[in-house]
Amino acid sequence: MKVIKLEKKKLIPFLQFISQERELWAPVKKNDRIIYDLIEDFTCIDMNTTRTLLPPKKVIIPQQFNMFRVTGLGYESDYSHAVKKILFGIHPCDIHGLLILDKLFMQDHPDPYYIEARRNTLILGLSCWPDEHCFARSTNTHIIREGFDLFFTDLEHSYLVWVGSSAGDDLIKLKPEFFEQKPTDQDIQDFTYMQIERDTSYKTKINFISMPDLMELKYNETFWEKMGRACLGCGSCSMVCPTCNCYNVIDRHLISEETGERRRYWDSCTLCEYSEVAEGVNFRKNCADRLRLWYTHKMQAFISKYGKASCVGCGRCLLTCPVDINVLTVSKSLQGKDVYAYWNRLPREASDDKSSK
Amino acid sequence: MSKNKLRIGVYGLTGCAGDQLTILNCEDRLLKLFETVDVRSFLMAKSDNLEEELDIALVEGSVSTRSDEESVINIRQRTGSLVAIGICACFGGIQAVFTEPEEWAKQYEQVYGNRSVSSNAALQSRPVKAFVKVDYYLPGCPIHKEQFLALLSRLALGSTPEFHRAPVCLECKWQENDCLLNKNVLCLGPLTTAGCGAICPTCNLPCVGCWGPFEEANCWSEWNLLLDKDYDRNIIMQKMKSFSGTGFIQFFNTMKKERT
Repeated sequence: MKVIKLEKKKLIPFLQFISQERELWAPVKKNDRIIYDLIEDFTCIDMNTTRTLLPPKKVIIPQQFNMFRVTGLGYESDYSHAVKKILFGIHPCDIHGLLILDKLFMQDHPDPYYIEARRNTLILGLSCWPDEHCFARSTNTHIIREGFDLFFTDLEHSYLVWVGSSAGDDLIKLKPEFFEQKPTDQDIQDFTYMQIERDTSYKTKINFISMPDLMELKYNETFWEKMGRACLGCGSCSMVCPTCNCYNVIDRHLISEETGERRRYWDSCTLCEYSEVAEGVNFRKNCADRLRLWYTHKMQAFISKYGKASCVGCGRCLLTCPVDINVLTVSKSLQGKDVYAYWNRLPREASDDKSSK
Repeated sequence: MSKNKLRIGVYGLTGCAGDQLTILNCEDRLLKLFETVDVRSFLMAKSDNLEEELDIALVEGSVSTRSDEESVINIRQRTGSLVAIGICACFGGIQAVFTEPEEWAKQYEQVYGNRSVSSNAALQSRPVKAFVKVDYYLPGCPIHKEQFLALLSRLALGSTPEFHRAPVCLECKWQENDCLLNKNVLCLGPLTTAGCGAICPTCNLPCVGCWGPFEEANCWSEWNLLLDKDYDRNIIMQKMKSFSGTGFIQFFNTMKKERT
């Protein structure tokens, strides 16, 4: 893999130049939230963000979109979400998230809506620095060696640029004069120190190696019921998770327009309706069962099939769940550790409510 | 007027008529829609109303008077399906906030004293389902145009209306909002049925629950979470009661038992 160098001040002009024929999506700050958005003003790109509210899966498969439209004349597919894009500023853990989605949507059951959008999106990664919620070091997703077209490593005054694909190389060829072909010895030294310093900066650590076994051995532990009692069933954990991929489709007929459309939108297995079948029968009526499914999938079943956890250590669930049900508290519970969390102190029955004033 | 067209009636009980107004607000699409179906009765829209047999009755408002009760029973007797539209019809709405019989009696006395009300006696406000069978529910305050058109289209095509049973939070995350509960704001998103598109949280305002109670709402956890955030129990109860009508009555009864 070729590694070249780019002066920092040349990054935005480079991005501007390569996005003439493609949409550029990157992290921006909007009303105090950091989100991936279509870039119009290039100076707004947030180069230093730790994480976006929703993961970059939204750039590939939007929260909701039309799959096709039906009229009296037949039906018409709608791939308007899959226009040519560049996704810039995506961190290693989130690239790993996309690689996990690739396994699910591109292998056994190819999903044309995902594949089309994925193929039309160039991935321009960016290095990052962990905050107290990141645990990508534990999931071994803090570094990335595949799944990008270009990857920019921030070295204070310049970027080292890894060229990961021929499409990435083509982008460089659009403005070769911007790049220095060979990093200096000092650059290599800086890069080495940076990596060491970054890798020792992860404060949140989870031992994932033992998870599949613990998940099996503690399948009937009481903490699942406790979590089930506290879970608000809001589905936010699934929305913010870079590897959650459940969706629902709904057909909308509009007699007023004599048309119909099929809409697809993000769903969550933590919602009761998700596991409901004909006649209102439900396989997982109990919230605790649904939570256990969510975690079994990520920390056990996925490992059995693909050899690694379906968690990339981004820390979004830690920041999102209002009742502290997240990968950190669940893994601590599995390891038999004391957990300070809302779900752990929620009184059992109404009569146990000690906090009444 | 074709015989094959679906015969529809739109009715209002006690409410603000906002749901009927939303139907009228479909404007240009309404003309097409009204060509497709046969609107027999819709007092807000026309004067030549025929109170005969119907295929679908759309009923707005809660049952709050004796005449509401009579109307809704009459409508039920002559319609194939009955759809409760808006949260007043679905859950009782704001006027059903006094769910306890003694509270209601107190309130009645304050308003009417000992006077006998002859023509249209007030009842303790209740959702439509408390009096007659309801086939489908279309919540909202007011209902959403698109959801109304989708529901009517499905019924007109002989299929069952479909709703995604989810709380507001799901749509709130689609809108990329930070969770207000995490910012210690009293937000009822987790207890409230989705459908509004999380308009309020997107404007940084907490959800007040106007789309009505979410079927699988975890009141117990939300209640304690808000206590944990130092909210007063009376404030929490007030907020939860505002729009939920009779939706959380079971939860409040448990809480009441616990206090006595």
